[in-house]
Amino acid sequence: MATSAQNKKKTFHIDETDLLCKNGCGFYGNPAWQGFCSKCYREVYQTAHKAQMQHDAAKEASQISPILKKGPQLADVRASFSKFEEKKTQQVNKRSNTFKSFLRKTPNKDNQPLVKEPRRISAESQKIGTEFAEFLKSIKRKPAALEISKLVRGFIERVQHNQEFSIEDLSEMVQDFYTSLNDKLNSQPVFKGFTSEVIDKVMDFAERYILTRLYPSIFCHPSTNDEERDLAIQNRIRSLHWIRAPQLDTLINENDPAIRHELDSAITDIIELDSKRATQDKLQCIVSCSKHIFEVLRKSKQGPASADEFLPALIYIVLKANPPLLQSNIQYITRFANPTRLMSGEEGYYFTNLCCAVSFVESINAESLNISNTDFERYMSGEAVPPGSGNEQICKGLQMMYDNLKVLAELRQRQEKVMAEVLQLQADMNEFKENFIKKVDEAKERTPLIIRPRKVKVDPDIAYSGQNSNLPSPLTPLKVHVDNSHVAIVAEQMLVDDLSDLQGNDNVMETKDGSEEMEPTGQ
Amino acid sequence: MSGGKVDIKVVLLGKAYAGKTSLVERYIHNRFLGETVPYQNTIGAAFGAKTVTVNNQNVVIGIWDTAGSERYEAMSRIYYRGAKAAIVCYDLTDKSSFDRARFWIGELQKYEQGCQIYLCGTKFDIIEDNPDLRTVSERDAHALALDVRGENYETSSKTGKDIDKIFTKIAVDYLASKTAHKNEVDADIVELRKHPKKHLCQGCS
Repeated sequence: MATSAQNKKKTFHIDETDLLCKNGCGFYGNPAWQGFCSKCYREVYQTAHKAQMQHDAAKEASQISPILKKGPQLADVRASFSKFEEKKTQQVNKRSNTFKSFLRKTPNKDNQPLVKEPRRISAESQKIGTEFAEFLKSIKRKPAALEISKLVRGFIERVQHNQEFSIEDLSEMVQDFYTSLNDKLNSQPVFKGFTSEVIDKVMDFAERYILTRLYPSIFCHPSTNDEERDLAIQNRIRSLHWIRAPQLDTLINENDPAIRHELDSAITDIIELDSKRATQDKLQCIVSCSKHIFEVLRKSKQGPASADEFLPALIYIVLKANPPLLQSNIQYITRFANPTRLMSGEEGYYFTNLCCAVSFVESINAESLNISNTDFERYMSGEAVPPGSGNEQICKGLQMMYDNLKVLAELRQRQEKVMAEVLQLQADMNEFKENFIKKVDEAKERTPLIIRPRKVKVDPDIAYSGQNSNLPSPLTPLKVHVDNSHVAIVAEQMLVDDLSDLQGNDNVMETKDGSEEMEPTGQ
Repeated sequence: MSGGKVDIKVVLLGKAYAGKTSLVERYIHNRFLGETVPYQNTIGAAFGAKTVTVNNQNVVIGIWDTAGSERYEAMSRIYYRGAKAAIVCYDLTDKSSFDRARFWIGELQKYEQGCQIYLCGTKFDIIEDNPDLRTVSERDAHALALDVRGENYETSSKTGKDIDKIFTKIAVDYLASKTAHKNEVDADIVELRKHPKKHLCQGCS
């Protein structure tokens, strides 16, 4: 242990013994030969390959068995591998024929009996087949649609007839097909007038359809060491279980239930990666997972996150999720996705990040976590757990209970605070009331209320009638048509008064007594 | 050169907190975080894409932000694989970030020859306010840029200085290199057209 730890310091984790053939024959091994030397690899691989093929056959048989129930050949399939192979080619023909029948509305004689037979196409393939056919119909160009379906079908058949090809050859075939299909769509007269959007869509559907159909035979291909790498990374992640967010310098705050919910969504998304068939769907899982991670970071940090924070968080998610068949999925996407998808756009970016995360997990060591080598070794072997991670060991229910207790305690505190504030408010209100009354009383004392007699509106006519005896009598117009003689006499009297008044004015200078005498007559 | 879509992958390299994210924010959304936009309102993203039109050609610039921490530098090669251009950021007020920039330029030259390098000094607004804070001289940066047949810019994401200029230049340079490349293979196109005819003949016979 100690020596390997020393070696690790310099060269990640390849030490001398790793380089040698696993069989111990003394030659150097090679990771491409699964750690054997070329000779031993050939020996071991032959048997392993056989076993793998048989295992796959059994697996496939059990996979399609529910659909096969009506078919009489089920027992034969399990019994002999060669017959299975035979059947597979039959299946191929049937598949392509059924696909053809999607396109040709009028059923011909060859197709009719096939429909009655049990289908052996998986649900996913059926679905995408229908979608593709509908899309081709929607183009409304029959020759073009037929040409596309012919190309795609032909390609699928070609691949299925060449099952023994190595994965590199298959990958190359698929990539070549993308290129040639794209070229044809852009140059052949049948497709003339296709807009770039339609071409993109055709490419998209072709990729989706081909990969969904070929998925069982090209995912985790027996000629690769994907399965071994899957197991390796899975074990590695398991032994790295003790890593927590702070060790990766991420700011994820796991205690907040809202953040934990987002974390769970991110983990679900990345685990779902394995359940999809088409690369587009797989990539979409990664994108969705990344979006959730950004949400987690935004909530934890109260601010926008950048790549500096995103990658550690993604690594953390990968460690927490331990997604099944991670390496196989990554390899599958790398080999069979349309390369433009991986070189541009969001999907490509987040996929690259995932590759980085996986690469980091593979090469993680004491140095990259800023802990001592001995600590790292001890944590890795499960001998010890880092301080502060004890809580993580308890089961989810308990943890939830603690969380709830914490929330309840918080609630109680708040409740108490509210109560205290209510009492305070009540006291304040009483005090205010008393103060107010006091102030009002004070104000009352300071300025006692004296009720003064009301001022009444006065009618000018009434006012003149008697009270204002001190004032000179007003001018009264002479009423011309008056029946009442008494009034007339009064008026006449008044006129005389006025006239005498005028006269008096003239005489005022001469005789003061005259004017004095006139006054009583005015009354 | 029809209206077909052209995608350019541009990677952003640079020390953590050298201003990479602000650069993207300024270019994509034309805003500076923390000033006009409160931090809480932005989700933040490490990937951004913007379409620019150069010579009647639509070019989609996809900007790939990378983690600048040294801990992840072993993985950075995965990021810049296939990149057409790289913006290597350094903080004009931080000498160590310029040394990191040198490191990345070395890496790029070693592993990604097809990638055009653009050197980008950030936070120009700070040294504009206080020239004493400058720790990376323009001459040094220019010399480094010349070494790699790239260019040097001194930008500010706060004021937006020279940000658009870099990306426009990237698009123009890429299209120019592409046309040059296309002219080279023009002769082959004739040959390619002959091929299908041959196939037809084989098919007939």
